[in-house]
Amino acid sequence: MGTFIQLVVDGLSTGSIYAALALAIVLVNQATGLVNFAQGGMAVLSAYIAWWLTGVGVPLILAILITVVVSFVMGAVIERYLMRRFERGDPDTAVVVTIGLLTLITGLCGWLWTYNNLQFASLFSLNTIQIAGASISVRSLGTIVVIVVMMVLLQALFLGTKLGLALRAVAVNPQSASFSGLPVGRLLMVGWGLAAVLGAVAGALVAPQLSLTPGMMDTALVYALAAVILGGISSPIGVVVAAWLIGVLENLAAVYVPFIGYDLKVAVPFILIFVVLIVRPQGLFGRKSVVRV
Amino acid sequence: MSETSFFRRRWVRWATIVVVVVALIVLPLVLPEFANQTIARIGVFAVAVLGLNVVMGYTGQVSLGQIFFVGLGAYITAYGVTHDWNIIVVFILAFVGPAVVGLLIALAAARLGGLAIAMVTIALPIVGVPLAKRLSDVTGGSQGLSAQFSDVPDWMPFTMYDDQWQLYIVILVTAIVFLLTRNLVHGRYGRAFAIVKGNEAVASSMGISPYWYKVIAFTVASLIGGVAGFLYMVVIQYTSPETLSFAHSISLLAAMVIGGAASIVGSLLGGAYYVLVPQLTNIVDPNSTALLQGAILLIVLFVLPGGLVSLPRVLTRLARRRSGDDRGRTPQTTPITEPDPAAVTEGNPTERQGHA
Repeated sequence: MGTFIQLVVDGLSTGSIYAALALAIVLVNQATGLVNFAQGGMAVLSAYIAWWLTGVGVPLILAILITVVVSFVMGAVIERYLMRRFERGDPDTAVVVTIGLLTLITGLCGWLWTYNNLQFASLFSLNTIQIAGASISVRSLGTIVVIVVMMVLLQALFLGTKLGLALRAVAVNPQSASFSGLPVGRLLMVGWGLAAVLGAVAGALVAPQLSLTPGMMDTALVYALAAVILGGISSPIGVVVAAWLIGVLENLAAVYVPFIGYDLKVAVPFILIFVVLIVRPQGLFGRKSVVRV
Repeated sequence: MSETSFFRRRWVRWATIVVVVVALIVLPLVLPEFANQTIARIGVFAVAVLGLNVVMGYTGQVSLGQIFFVGLGAYITAYGVTHDWNIIVVFILAFVGPAVVGLLIALAAARLGGLAIAMVTIALPIVGVPLAKRLSDVTGGSQGLSAQFSDVPDWMPFTMYDDQWQLYIVILVTAIVFLLTRNLVHGRYGRAFAIVKGNEAVASSMGISPYWYKVIAFTVASLIGGVAGFLYMVVIQYTSPETLSFAHSISLLAAMVIGGAASIVGSLLGGAYYVLVPQLTNIVDPNSTALLQGAILLIVLFVLPGGLVSLPRVLTRLARRRSGDDRGRTPQTTPITEPDPAAVTEGNPTERQGHA
């Protein structure tokens, strides 16, 4: 039973990382209709910036906060000067542009900071606490708490503020939003900036565990995409639940299903996707998108 | 428009074809070994990109799993050769196997649309790599399989080097695949693919089942991927789980868009891009290959969003603008939202037909 609880909590913790990245993807997709493959890469770049800041003597928590601001600007700049040109064109081209961006950022990190693993200080202590006979790491609990707080803040922003209302309007219909006088371009920059912030927090939380490399988030990105599909791309809450589900299930399957083991656990979310999509093509929580002919 | 009509004249077309064929027969004999191998690899990946183009460029279904079928074809070839099967049988299995697997996946995946089909196909390379490592009895595990079967055969009446022989095989198979695919996408099926890509509801109303045409496109793409896998073994003679990694699948997708989606020539250019750019960046600076590749990809798309194949069109437009001559309509100033039915039925000579 102890192992089981431990596995579930650790699964929720990794699932939270996937959830943050998946939410960033949903944020960009709802605003612009494209899937940003560079979301993980941008998160890694943020983590490197935080690492560099701690290296020059900035305290960790302050370094992460500065990185969050820098990431927001980075996301907005990428939208304005790179993605803007492709947003009205062929969607396949726009997706490939994000792939190019991923390659570029990975290459940039490797070029500036080498491809070697770097040690990233953890925000939380590495101790464990005893709950119901299970030793649960403080880091896992901390990760879950931080991500949940982020989500609540984001939800408050979207539902409780004027900016959030404007952002939602742009996501629903950019043309109408523009007609009602909203600065659509600037709101898209805000959307990309918020997505980059989510990624930055996920990057800073996962870096101590995985150790910092340019390809650190590649697997996380795949899981995040899986969560996006499983939860339904139109439902932020569904995406988060799906990310947690994936994190927990793959952990359990790796331990309790002998054939899957550690190396094949990556197949778990995709088997899940396959089954779910055949039954419910719009995802677990998604709305069926209706296209006007 | 004068240069286009020049290329449409019958004798010019035939002369071009003859020149290209002669060049393809003579070049392998005179080029150095490295050049031959590079051209052969371009052929391999041009075929892989062509397959991706059938499902994605022409039919509009994002596939992130094309490399899986290339890898499957390569593994089948390697397995067959190491077990001393007849090479013709191996070749047929190398594309029938991936086609059957592709068909089975498509039967389920084609029910979904848009992003979901991308996600089901993303799973193929992601699950494929650990699976290939796990099934080590068949695949040789992480070590991979190597198979040397493309040396110059004994019955050859005159002497020839291995690289020349391999290049001839690649050229022959690539030419056949390109010709067949060109006929497919310019014919009845191609028009149906274009309508499915443009608007599925319109397709259904015309009696074209989007489901079945998606399944067909996906199966054809897998089949062509299998052929590319066979050619991969002819040229590289070694395959490992790394062959079907997700990074390669993404590069293949990038190569397709860079070359030009829904274009036969674009597939060739995409194959060339896939092979040549990493070689180029390696020469420039081995420490920053990823950085340079990303930069090149972004620059090309920034200048040519339609891919390399649109370069002549862009140049003509620029030249026309400079000379202040605005005769004729300037193409694509407004985005086309609906496939132009007239263009589809009459077989518009441009290859980006029915593009929504």
